Amino acid sequence: MPKDILYSVKNLTVEYKTRAGPVRAVDDVSFDIYRGEILGLVGESGCGKSTLGKAMMRLHTGPAEITGGELWFDERDLMTLSDREMTDLRGAEIGMVFQDPMTSLNPVQRIMEHLTETIQTHEPETSDADAESRAEELVERLGIRRERLSEYPHQMSGGMRQRVMISLALALNSKLVIADEPTTSLDVIVEYQFLDLLHELRDEFGLTIVLITHNIGVVAEIADRLAVMYAGKIVEIGDCFGCFGDPKHPYTQGLLRSVPNIKLDGEELYKMEGAPPNLLRPPSGCRFHPRCPFVMDICRTEEPAFKLVEGGDQITACWLYQETPVGPELSRA
Amino acid sequence: MTITKEEYPTPENEIASWEQDLDRVGFVRRALRARKWYGADWWFVAISMVMVAGFLIIAFFPDPFAPFGPNEIVGSSFLAPGETPPVPVLIVPQDSPVEELQDLAVPVGSERPAIAVEQGLPTSVALREQAQIIDDQLKDDPEELRLRVRIERYNTLEETLQAVVDEEVHAAVVQSTDFEVVKSQFPTLRASESIMGDTATAGGFLLGTNEIGQDVFSRLIWGAQVALLIGFSASIIALVIGVPLGLIASFVGGSLDRYLSLLMDSLYAFPGLILAIAITAILGPSIFNIIVAIAVVYIPTYYRIVRGQTFSVKAEVYVEAARSIGARRTEILRRYIFPNVIPSVAIIFSVNVADAILTGAGLSFLGLGLPPTIADWGIDLARGQRFIQTAWWMITFPGIAIMLVVLAFTLMGEGLMEIFNPKLRDR
Repeated sequence: MPKDILYSVKNLTVEYKTRAGPVRAVDDVSFDIYRGEILGLVGESGCGKSTLGKAMMRLHTGPAEITGGELWFDERDLMTLSDREMTDLRGAEIGMVFQDPMTSLNPVQRIMEHLTETIQTHEPETSDADAESRAEELVERLGIRRERLSEYPHQMSGGMRQRVMISLALALNSKLVIADEPTTSLDVIVEYQFLDLLHELRDEFGLTIVLITHNIGVVAEIADRLAVMYAGKIVEIGDCFGCFGDPKHPYTQGLLRSVPNIKLDGEELYKMEGAPPNLLRPPSGCRFHPRCPFVMDICRTEEPAFKLVEGGDQITACWLYQETPVGPELSRA
Repeated sequence: MTITKEEYPTPENEIASWEQDLDRVGFVRRALRARKWYGADWWFVAISMVMVAGFLIIAFFPDPFAPFGPNEIVGSSFLAPGETPPVPVLIVPQDSPVEELQDLAVPVGSERPAIAVEQGLPTSVALREQAQIIDDQLKDDPEELRLRVRIERYNTLEETLQAVVDEEVHAAVVQSTDFEVVKSQFPTLRASESIMGDTATAGGFLLGTNEIGQDVFSRLIWGAQVALLIGFSASIIALVIGVPLGLIASFVGGSLDRYLSLLMDSLYAFPGLILAIAITAILGPSIFNIIVAIAVVYIPTYYRIVRGQTFSVKAEVYVEAARSIGARRTEILRRYIFPNVIPSVAIIFSVNVADAILTGAGLSFLGLGLPPTIADWGIDLARGQRFIQTAWWMITFPGIAIMLVVLAFTLMGEGLMEIFNPKLRDR
């Protein structure tokens, strides 16, 4: 079934320049995001999820730098846009929701000013009254009473602030919202409400959402597809049902087994061996091989290709599902 | 939309209700209500605000407060606070009918009355001025009496009085205190009332007089103007230069930031007063040069504060969030960084005014500031310092004035910081 691709990441590499040398936080990553889907991007802390999310908006700063790859958004390569064009695109077409709602709003600006500023930055001809009425309409749909618009961010609770952040992204009908751990600092009830809201917004506005999280439960709740990241690489991507029902990559399998289950009685939680690798000197071959329970000789020397598993829906990078190249005609697919 | 109910508050979402109340009220009520919330601190602020207000009023309208002009010589030198100045009195023989100076007036054309004075005392000036006043009043007199005194000068007090005894002159004018001492030697003489009418100086001076007979209190009042001018202009110039530099340096970063910081740190590392001395020594003494010198000393303070704050604000998520909604760089600087940086600047400012007043006084004290004709606390201190053993009031009161003003501004700055930044209280 051909799906409409909204955003396509091709061979993206992001490096942090450090004194000890470049650290590849995102290494040769390629994947597609379909229009109107919720893509969950999961992985351990420090695996490069947030860096990937920021790089998709070219928001990375300081030592981080995109050193290769293409970012195709709506038939345009974002890498070829000027800084000014990129600034115009942010907020208008791609929005972002940040991890900590307590600090992601300007403490000296009223909520209303945040919204009108966003609208007027991109549509300078909008009058103040128009911008305000649009803002009021928007937040009411997100379940915030319009009287509260005149408040300052610190007068709102975390969940409300997160809804304000979403409304900032929606103010100009962004096509894509990248939510970077939006529910990490919320309690479970607020978290559930927020996820519910994301789901509704997707249905109502045809929004495409990339949900970056380390919480696999959140992804299971609302995502359509799942991408698993490990040490700067996407190791498995596929339908949520497929990925959860029949995970292919050993890392995904381990990840799913380490999720606490309320029905788990007495049984000890699965603990994955080892620790995430140092990205300054990543392991040779498959990056997961030092921790992999099914490690083979080839894993130590050759990097597996990222391709569709035969007889499955997932794309994965693991030698278990690929023909092992023999002899000198080693090839990278 | 289904989500309309309020979320459950989590511990970090919970904000103390009084902190929320604080945000709902305006500036004035916030300051007033603060007494409820800040316990004993509120009177700190209240007192310092009254002091600052008093200082500002005196500096802007010195006329109703100052009895005399800043350079007016109004009495004898070195009068202690409240000490009655010696008054010039008219000395006449016991049997003379003369009671006051006016009685010496004679018709036009007759011989002018001779009056003896001791050489080198202000009595002759007082006599001539008083005689002139009486003469002017007599112009319209129908009897055509005039008072044109002939002043005879004698070397000593005794000679002056002896001249009256010997009837060489009609009368003498000497200081009342001097006459008291030698009264017994001249039993045939008596002292009439002061030749001056009732004047403002008769009751003495509140804070005494200095070495040339200027009123210390009046000079203090007039000096407030200079202190305010120096303190505020220097701080404002330093702020206007230091704040944008700090903002730009940290926002642009890179080599601009490095070189500016190097420059500012070198300025900062230099002792402030010595730097100010060097600058005024080069520019020459004038009010404007003092202001420039002090401003230069304080630019690094603003620069460092703003630069540091900008760095930390720049790293806040809301600045990144602003970029993610497509805000321009200038917009981010103006609406996100500047308003979050400025509160700390405001507090530095009020402490800085106090500091600048102190430095200005220090410069004047060292003689590098202003010409002595300007009423300035630092100059008064320097002048008083030479007479510290005999005239304590000359150096004490300008010192207290400086201390009070500096204290008021500092207390106000710190008090305001606590009221408007409640989060600082717990630290």
